[in-house]
Amino acid sequence: MFRDVTFGQYYPKNSFVHNMDARIKLVLCLLFMVGIFFVQSYVGFALVTVFLMVVILASKVPLKSILKSVKGIVVLLILTAMLNIFFTKSGNVLVSWWIFTITDEGLIYASKMLLRLVYLVIGSSVLTLTTTPVDLTHAIERLLAPLKVIKFPVHDLALIMSLTLSFIPSLIDETDRIIRAQKARGADFDTGNLFQRAKAFVPILIPLLVGGFRRAEELANAMNSRCYEGATNRTQMRVMKLSWRDLVASLVCIIVFGGIIVVYAMKATWQPILPWMYF
Amino acid sequence: MSKSPVVAPQIDEKVAIYANNLNFVYNPKSPFEKHALKDISLSINKGEFVAIVGHTGSGKTTFVQHLNALVRHQSGDLFVAGLNLADKKLDLKKLRGSVGMVFQYPEYQLFADTVLEDVAFGPRNFGVAREDAYKLAKNALETVGLDFEQIKSKSPFDLSGGEKRRVALAGVLAMKPQILVLDEPTAGLDPQGKREILSLVKSINKQNDITVVMVSHDMNEVYENADRVIVFRDGGVVYDLPPRQLFKLEDQIVSMNLEIPQMAQFTNALEKQGIVLPDDCITVDQIFDALCQLKGGSNV
Ligand SMILES: Nc1ncnc2c1ncn2[C@@H]1O[C@H](COP(=O)(O)OP(=O)(O)OP(=O)(O)O)[C@@H](O)[C@H]1O
Ligand SMILES: [Mg+2]
Repeated sequence: MFRDVTFGQYYPKNSFVHNMDARIKLVLCLLFMVGIFFVQSYVGFALVTVFLMVVILASKVPLKSILKSVKGIVVLLILTAMLNIFFTKSGNVLVSWWIFTITDEGLIYASKMLLRLVYLVIGSSVLTLTTTPVDLTHAIERLLAPLKVIKFPVHDLALIMSLTLSFIPSLIDETDRIIRAQKARGADFDTGNLFQRAKAFVPILIPLLVGGFRRAEELANAMNSRCYEGATNRTQMRVMKLSWRDLVASLVCIIVFGGIIVVYAMKATWQPILPWMYF
Repeated sequence: MSKSPVVAPQIDEKVAIYANNLNFVYNPKSPFEKHALKDISLSINKGEFVAIVGHTGSGKTTFVQHLNALVRHQSGDLFVAGLNLADKKLDLKKLRGSVGMVFQYPEYQLFADTVLEDVAFGPRNFGVAREDAYKLAKNALETVGLDFEQIKSKSPFDLSGGEKRRVALAGVLAMKPQILVLDEPTAGLDPQGKREILSLVKSINKQNDITVVMVSHDMNEVYENADRVIVFRDGGVVYDLPPRQLFKLEDQIVSMNLEIPQMAQFTNALEKQGIVLPDDCITVDQIFDALCQLKGGSNV
């Protein structure tokens, strides 16, 4: 049952985007996320839409899998839209009822905001759909490497991240198994009042916790018995290499989002973006 | 195997499990799609002890989890304990009360404060009153050979591995199932513990007349205990034979990465020398007796 949580999960394919260097993908994704908040005009949105479509095509991930992640934030989207619609007082009033007023500017802000959020989610899910969690952690470790200078434990952080990530599938499997085992003994998770339902989860949570601690201890023992030591000049099993793809992708992104930011800076109107920054 | 047309199996009183062209696909229409069961057809009679063997990933677990609807039926016919699993309005409680399922490493599902509570969990879920559930738990714990008075108020987490497994088995037996399904019940036990669990299962099968379906990787235990062995390969059934006949097919068995049980190797070798033993010679003792009789001597 928990296997259905595929949202944002790596989607194996052999494509331009999959084969890019994870570090570049991560940096470009950040650039995209920042850049999208500088988009103001319809032309800008059209440009970003075309850009995203090209990226999705190049990633060979079906649109359905990508839109699944948008489904996950529908509530947030609706809430944002309402806030933007009802709390924008400037512009021509279209409808006014009790304490609510809807203005044309409010509608425009709201729809721009929605588009930004949707694009944000699509952009980040393209990153996680085309990059394995392992590659992603390595990329983060490499990108944070300069922080080692100030004694920031980059390596340990990356280790914790990759261990956590590698525990998730086995934890999901384990949960699945325990649920099945208790169901086989007649456990019922779907009926009864709230209290009864909460109580029904005890037979799952306890074995899960016990098992989690057991695994953690086994892993710690296994690492200790092989004399694992943190960051002392370890070499990496996967060597990350840049290729022509990374160059092409970087150029495209820099032109598109660099352009957007430059245009924005020339207009030099700071006022409208402030309310959006809350999200 | 039954290639004959579907004989309305729910009418036949003798049949405990009946499958016809059962198919199952994990994650259909996604890159993770996996056709795990392909046209499985088999039938298991009440009171039988059937072993399911096969290389890892051959679909054994997927099949046995169909038997109490933990994996939901997709296509084909499947009747278990007189219930039609293809029925949308299937009575899950009734099914799960009739089919006891013991998972691999069942001790990892223990959760209650005391052994007694844990074993009584199953019957309680099926609406048995507390006192009666405790009685069932007591019976089940005694059946698996544990000292009830001594163990009942211990925490299940303070037991040894073997004891935990017995408690978990008792938790399933306490539901009084008609069919007992075991997925690798002896995995991770020492030889002594293995033998104990197996003789336990065997006696549950013979004395309480419970149908047993056991998945196993240990051909020796399969050879000595099962009435019939069903071999899975890549999601399909390739052999369905009594153990003695099956393990005569040495080359085919080895080509499927399965072992020949030691005793079967021995009788097969004897047969090549022209010494043919009766078909019911499985254990060392039986072979010894048969050999003595062949020699015309008496067994002292
Ligand atoms: N929940 C699942 N989702 C997707 N695929 C699965 C799932 N469970 C099993 N599979 C796949 O289905 C196939 C059959 O798996 P199954 O667990 O039935 O094999 P098995 O015969 O029990 O193997 P083993 O001897 O290793 O226990 C395997 O290829 C497995 O990878
Ligand atoms: Mg299995």
